[in-house]
Amino acid sequence: MKHATKLLIFILLVASLVLTSCAQPTPAPEQPAAEQPAAEEPAAEEPAAETGECKDEDRVQINWSTIAGFYTDAMESIIADFEATHCIDVNIIGIDNAQLYDKQVIELVGQTGAYDVVNIEAMEKAEFAENGFLLAMDDYLKENPEVDYEDIAPIMRKLTTEYKGQIWGLPYYTYTAGYFGRCDLFEDPTEQEAFKAKYGYDLAVPTTWEEHRDVAEFFTRKTGDMLKGVALTKDFYGVGLMAGRFQEIQDELSAFIWAYGGQWLKDDGTLDVENTTKALKWYVEELLPFAPPAALTVTYDGVMNQMKDGQIAQTAGFFLDQWPNAAMTDELVPGARMCPQEAPEKRGYVGAFLAAVSSSSKHPKEAMDWVAYLGGKEAQRNFSMQGGSTTRLSILNDPAMATEEQWPKTGHFATLVEVFESQSDLEENLFFTPYGGKIYNTLGPMLQAAAAGEKTPEQAVLDLAAEIEKICGGPCPINK
Amino acid sequence: MASTSMSTPQDTRSVPKKQGRAMSDAWFSVLLILPAMIIIAFFALYPLFYAIYVSFQLADLTAGGIKGFVGLDNYRTVLFDKFFWESVRTTLFFTFFAVSIEVVLGTFVAFLINGATVAKGLIRSLLILPLATAPAVTGLFWRYLYDTQFGLYNYFLGLLGLPQPNWLGDIKVALWAVIMFDVWLWMPFVALIVMAGLQALPKEPFEAAELDGAPYFRVLRKLTFPMLKPVLFLVIILRTIDALRLYDAVAVLTRGGPGSTTETMTYYLYRQGLVFFRMDYASTMALLFLYAVVVASLFALRPLLNMFGGRATAK
Repeated sequence: MKHATKLLIFILLVASLVLTSCAQPTPAPEQPAAEQPAAEEPAAEEPAAETGECKDEDRVQINWSTIAGFYTDAMESIIADFEATHCIDVNIIGIDNAQLYDKQVIELVGQTGAYDVVNIEAMEKAEFAENGFLLAMDDYLKENPEVDYEDIAPIMRKLTTEYKGQIWGLPYYTYTAGYFGRCDLFEDPTEQEAFKAKYGYDLAVPTTWEEHRDVAEFFTRKTGDMLKGVALTKDFYGVGLMAGRFQEIQDELSAFIWAYGGQWLKDDGTLDVENTTKALKWYVEELLPFAPPAALTVTYDGVMNQMKDGQIAQTAGFFLDQWPNAAMTDELVPGARMCPQEAPEKRGYVGAFLAAVSSSSKHPKEAMDWVAYLGGKEAQRNFSMQGGSTTRLSILNDPAMATEEQWPKTGHFATLVEVFESQSDLEENLFFTPYGGKIYNTLGPMLQAAAAGEKTPEQAVLDLAAEIEKICGGPCPINK
Repeated sequence: MASTSMSTPQDTRSVPKKQGRAMSDAWFSVLLILPAMIIIAFFALYPLFYAIYVSFQLADLTAGGIKGFVGLDNYRTVLFDKFFWESVRTTLFFTFFAVSIEVVLGTFVAFLINGATVAKGLIRSLLILPLATAPAVTGLFWRYLYDTQFGLYNYFLGLLGLPQPNWLGDIKVALWAVIMFDVWLWMPFVALIVMAGLQALPKEPFEAAELDGAPYFRVLRKLTFPMLKPVLFLVIILRTIDALRLYDAVAVLTRGGPGSTTETMTYYLYRQGLVFFRMDYASTMALLFLYAVVVASLFALRPLLNMFGGRATAK
């Protein structure tokens, strides 16, 4: 009897363990398609069809991993339009920007097929293409000339889609940098007079980094000081910087390095120590003292909050796609008038999010259809009307985008066109090394050590050079 | 004779019957733990041995995965990596101060609550609240509390006319800000454990001390703390092991910054493994970390085990 009881307990224990394990079939939320291959397989062979011919059960589901937030919220109507004309369901897998690279790489390395279309930063393009994570779209674009690839700004084509002579996707959203400043401050007579008296030249939107620094210094004031003839109720700062431990500090520094005629990576595949040190010293010694203390913990959204809170006079090189956000300052800060401009020296960070087809996609044809639609004129126009930033010149130059009603959404389009033109001769090897993604993720933390005062700019850059060499296993290969 | 006649049936009963196919207690014990052991082997031992294997390979996930045997190269790289050692220093600093403050403060709170006459249950329930939420979630709240522009801490400090530090952006303050968060999160755990220990202490020695008129601090020094020692020791070990693994608070509050002042070992390991996908370095670091924790735990646990062993023998 005693042994029978023991056996019974044992059997119950095993049975409960088995049942427990059976009761946990919850799939990862971001991989629904990977868990449901049966429903998709038959449709994979069928071409996309007009919606009238398409039954629900025939629809092919494709998964698009992309940044959660505005970028995806604005996509709802675009996806609805696409699905109305294609026998395809687009499933957005929204991922926080900070996690996007990691999650995508894990799925792509594992060839899981969880993501049919991925969203990559311009710096990551070469890495993804070189490692076989993406499918080239050259043939597709040749067969579908209506996509009009040539309509995309040439510098965007060169930096964000092309690698080793092939096209790896289409840009659907550009974060190319310009400059935002409080034009109401620049136009105020009392400020103009005081500025001229102090610096010996007229106050205006800065066109050089030296002028930018002077403006930053001039407008940095304490509570109780006067600004535009009114006493300040809180401290006011000359510049908002993205000096937190994020990648965006690298985007800001790119503007200086490129203005000096340098590149992050020299042609020999090593870090341009001289220009990087010069840029970092300028940033730390000449600009950071005029930024709010919170600069050391924020990225672009923090800078926009400072602007809308009436704390800063201008940005450094800053993402023009944030215009709809910046434009709110006009309403939120009494008397404020924002204006978008090119960055000083006409150099600012350039890039775009690229929609590209995963090589492990189970539905590559349908995935390319979606990428072509997303990066195509119709979707880009719709996206732009909602506040998205396109790389398509036909839309950027469209008079319908320059109306007064559209100003809060597309007021930066004219500046974008100027930036694309000014930067058409830009060369940067970092966009063409297969280690671009890893280097991009390294730059932020290493450079921020100097901004935070943990290291000198010289030491931080030397550490960075050593780290890049470690990542690449020597000089980084560059493949254009 | 009487005793002899009594002993015979007793002896007969005490001898267990030999049953040929019956399961022995030893085998039954093995069978009971077998399912758990299989799970542990699959989810803990297999990854451990795989990590050992990977630590001797060149394993860059984004460049083709495991590419070949490299001997001790990864160990050499990690041991000469100054950022790794910086992260070790940060981890030890954090662990020492966070655990010390938690234990001192937690013990103090436990004594206060133990001596309370009203609302003891309510206070206990309130103490559990920080533990009831994931650190990643509470960390987000704390990030806003620490905000230099809109945070409540600086708001109140400003009202009092005190300096308003850049909690998460100043290299001299950031790690202390993480320690403060950890103390808020885990001090109640220490308090609850110590309080349970206090309530389990026998009353007789304290009654005797009271009758003898022993002063309060002498009772604390000679009776309470010596008797509470195993509990305190256990809580220190548990908190130390947990503090050494600190990741979530750093990930949410500072992302290792400013600079690398709050980059702990586990956060650095995460960056190597899941940002740079260098599984070889990450595995090597994880093994070194595991080795250090196991050795430290064995040294720390030995006195505790001896203590409990001594008690069992005495009983």
